[in-house]
Amino acid sequence: MEFLLENILNLVGFLVGLSIGVVSAIGFRNTGSPTLFRLAIAFFSISAGFGVIWVGYTLEDFVIKSGSLERWVQTLGIAIQTIGYFFIAFSHSIKSLFPKSRYFRSVGVFPLFLVSSVHIEHIFRSVSFILLAYGAIETIMSYFENRNKGAISVATGLSLLALGEFLGWYSFVFPESILYVSSMIIKISGLIALFIPVSKVPMTKIKLDDNFD
Amino acid sequence: MAEYRTHMKIIGDILSTTRDDLQDEDGATVTYLIRKANVSHSRISRILQTLVSQGLLEKVDSQGSNKYKISQTGRDFLQAYKTFSGFANNFGLVI
Repeated sequence: MEFLLENILNLVGFLVGLSIGVVSAIGFRNTGSPTLFRLAIAFFSISAGFGVIWVGYTLEDFVIKSGSLERWVQTLGIAIQTIGYFFIAFSHSIKSLFPKSRYFRSVGVFPLFLVSSVHIEHIFRSVSFILLAYGAIETIMSYFENRNKGAISVATGLSLLALGEFLGWYSFVFPESILYVSSMIIKISGLIALFIPVSKVPMTKIKLDDNFD
Repeated sequence: MAEYRTHMKIIGDILSTTRDDLQDEDGATVTYLIRKANVSHSRISRILQTLVSQGLLEKVDSQGSNKYKISQTGRDFLQAYKTFSGFANNFGLVI
């Protein structure tokens, strides 16, 4: 069950990330917008992160069968995804990573202190959670400004991914529990919610222009 | 409170004016574009120069004054701008 869900999650993550990345890259190519460039980097990273885990797990289970590779593949994949989440948050504001508030800094140190002796993977998960939560809050704030319904879907997607990361990170406290499976189901739902507004972008009339930079 | 506009948004406003809101068929004067796009003269001069050099606008000499019309490339760009502006808005971002 867990293996199947992980494969579904990684495949959906790879495809959704790739789709949004391609749309962003086409947008950047056509408009030269740095925002779309950052979104393209973000979603290509997210796609690559899921892809690395998917390919790694498949190779490990069917070809290599060493029994020790999965943890490193998972850590590498999550690290690459975290780079993607960073660029989403960075697009909203770099302030999220250099907070001046003393309160925010104390909150930021807490999860890192908790997990420092456990595994590097959990550090990436906690960073991803913070970046995703920030992205979700900024997106929902933008909805209140321009009432764009697509923003609700994206904010829901980012929130679900954040919750999934949190549960995935917290499952080390209760290993072999339902937390990890729940985390994967929630993350799959989040990825689908992210894809909904992107699927409505009319790409048929957009053409690449090689002369415009 | 005045709304902050990105450089890209100003370009979008200028191109939209030259496509949808022309004074006459010859094109729009700089003064008309300044009023419609709400940009200072020095800034719009630089932007118009760039847009003409990129082929998004066509400069037309009409009765001794310069007027600007949107080109086919400009129309394609404006369509792409509007499409991807909506796409970025979904993420709570502006392009």
